[in-house]
Amino acid sequence: MVNSQKIKLALVEHMIWVIIIGVFIIFSLTISNFFTVKNLLFILYAASPLGLLVFGEAIALSSGNMDLSLSENAGLTAMLVGVILVDWAPWLPGWVGIILMALVGALLGSINGFFIGKLKINPFLITLSTFLMFNWSTYYLRRGAIIKLPDTLLVLGGGKTGGIFNAIFVLVGIVIVLYIILDHTRFGSHIRAIGGNPDASKMLGINVGNTNFWIFTITGALAGISGLLYVGYLKCIPSTIADGAIFLAFAGAIIGGVSLKGGRGSIIGALGGVILMGIIDAGCTMTSMDPALRGVLNGFILLVAILINRTRGNLRDRILMPK
Amino acid sequence: MEEKNVNKSLPLIKVEDVCKWYGKVQALKGINLEVYPGEILGLIGDNGAGKSTLIKILSGVLSKNRGKIYWNGEETNISSVKEARNLGIETVYQDQAVIGCLSVAQNIFMGRQPIKSWGPIKILDKGMMREEAEKLAKDLKLHIPSTNQEIRFCSGGERQGVAISRAMYFKAKLVILDEPTTALAVSGVNKVLNFITRLKKEKIASIFVTHNLHHVYSVADRFMVLSRGEKVADVKKEETSVQDLENLQLRKMVSVT
Repeated sequence: MVNSQKIKLALVEHMIWVIIIGVFIIFSLTISNFFTVKNLLFILYAASPLGLLVFGEAIALSSGNMDLSLSENAGLTAMLVGVILVDWAPWLPGWVGIILMALVGALLGSINGFFIGKLKINPFLITLSTFLMFNWSTYYLRRGAIIKLPDTLLVLGGGKTGGIFNAIFVLVGIVIVLYIILDHTRFGSHIRAIGGNPDASKMLGINVGNTNFWIFTITGALAGISGLLYVGYLKCIPSTIADGAIFLAFAGAIIGGVSLKGGRGSIIGALGGVILMGIIDAGCTMTSMDPALRGVLNGFILLVAILINRTRGNLRDRILMPK
Repeated sequence: MEEKNVNKSLPLIKVEDVCKWYGKVQALKGINLEVYPGEILGLIGDNGAGKSTLIKILSGVLSKNRGKIYWNGEETNISSVKEARNLGIETVYQDQAVIGCLSVAQNIFMGRQPIKSWGPIKILDKGMMREEAEKLAKDLKLHIPSTNQEIRFCSGGERQGVAISRAMYFKAKLVILDEPTTALAVSGVNKVLNFITRLKKEKIASIFVTHNLHHVYSVADRFMVLSRGEKVADVKKEETSVQDLENLQLRKMVSVT
């Protein structure tokens, strides 16, 4: 009895992986050349820049916040670092650019963190204003694209090691680090606590303002690294870089089972969201589906995910409810 | 009998002539209070009597405008919740400071979890938390199938039990309970009263703040009645009755020796 309950709970908790396997099998059977190691690695590679944005959004959502500015942060960070390396300080080695990406992203994120954590302003309003500012600052810096970039800057986002794209190593490494932070450190437990009940967290001695500040600094750093992967993937920095990716980042986090209510969600689930979106995206590309229809499909998948998550939540409650 | 023994010792906390103003309104008008180790003090009074203000000062949420606080005979200034906790003052709040979507074990330790250090990396000691939480739950006779259970599935009484087990684990010396029974059903009230007598067995003193006399009367050793910011009575249980206390609470004149 207890065992069957455990299996049921595991199925409900990890439903995203069941869905991924299902979609994967269907695509493998219906699309030729889908089921090859090369294709699978490419799917993961193509999904990794967006993946980091999804992780950032998952962290923001599970702390009861939201971050609308992530994709524009990635874009502005990439453009700013590009301009620094090409125009302002061409004598800088390319690897400095890699470090700058994370730092600039974190710095832009800390602007959100300051207003939300220290001045206690609503995260929707603050990140909406930074969304606009970051977006148009990118266009102000450069209309068009930076094309000639130092090779070292492209290595992590576009290079390969032992036949595997470096971006996949970055993605997996970040998943591991974030999993440890969220599930095995005091700071991570504070993120879930303030997402679940900010008032009680305060009474338990958690500094909610500080925690929020660091959450947005970390999601900013993730956006910066995402910018780095976008640059490596595209081999250039267009002023439209990562535009609008924020909607897909929200979608990925929610498909991965992160709740808008806060306190719930895991980084492994968010990774599932990224992979599912990657698989579907690849399926659409390989069947040369109309891009507009692909957009519609993305929205439809999100809708289905929302419905599935609600049922999943109810099922979970029913299994966990003490008799 | 029992409390005469404890009363001989030094008061654990002594409050002298504490005043608090909110603008022009004086919420506390020179309050004196003493709590002895292992004693249960019932702090009663109607709404607006100043109970909340007094306990907020003792738990470090508010600062006093005048007066002195002594902890084990030494003057102290409780300026933050952290400082109060370091002294050994733990507060169990009326609205049950628990986080619904987290487990019982996580709720007990939240904010000061045990950690294992590997150099600069500090990892939560989840095994220890689970073990200690199991022990506490057994000790307090909490009716939960597992300490991994999310706390939103627990009844109100059990949630208070979780909050009280925090005080037990972190070796509090004084537990302030702010209306711990107000929102509970009868069975929950009885549970919480059991928890409070359990604290006494551990020689932990408590201040039981309530406006429900019947809840506090069975467990407290001494009663202090506040009315409009003033202390109107400070009586031992054997020198009073529910009726007397009720009258005092309603600001009627009664002779109290």
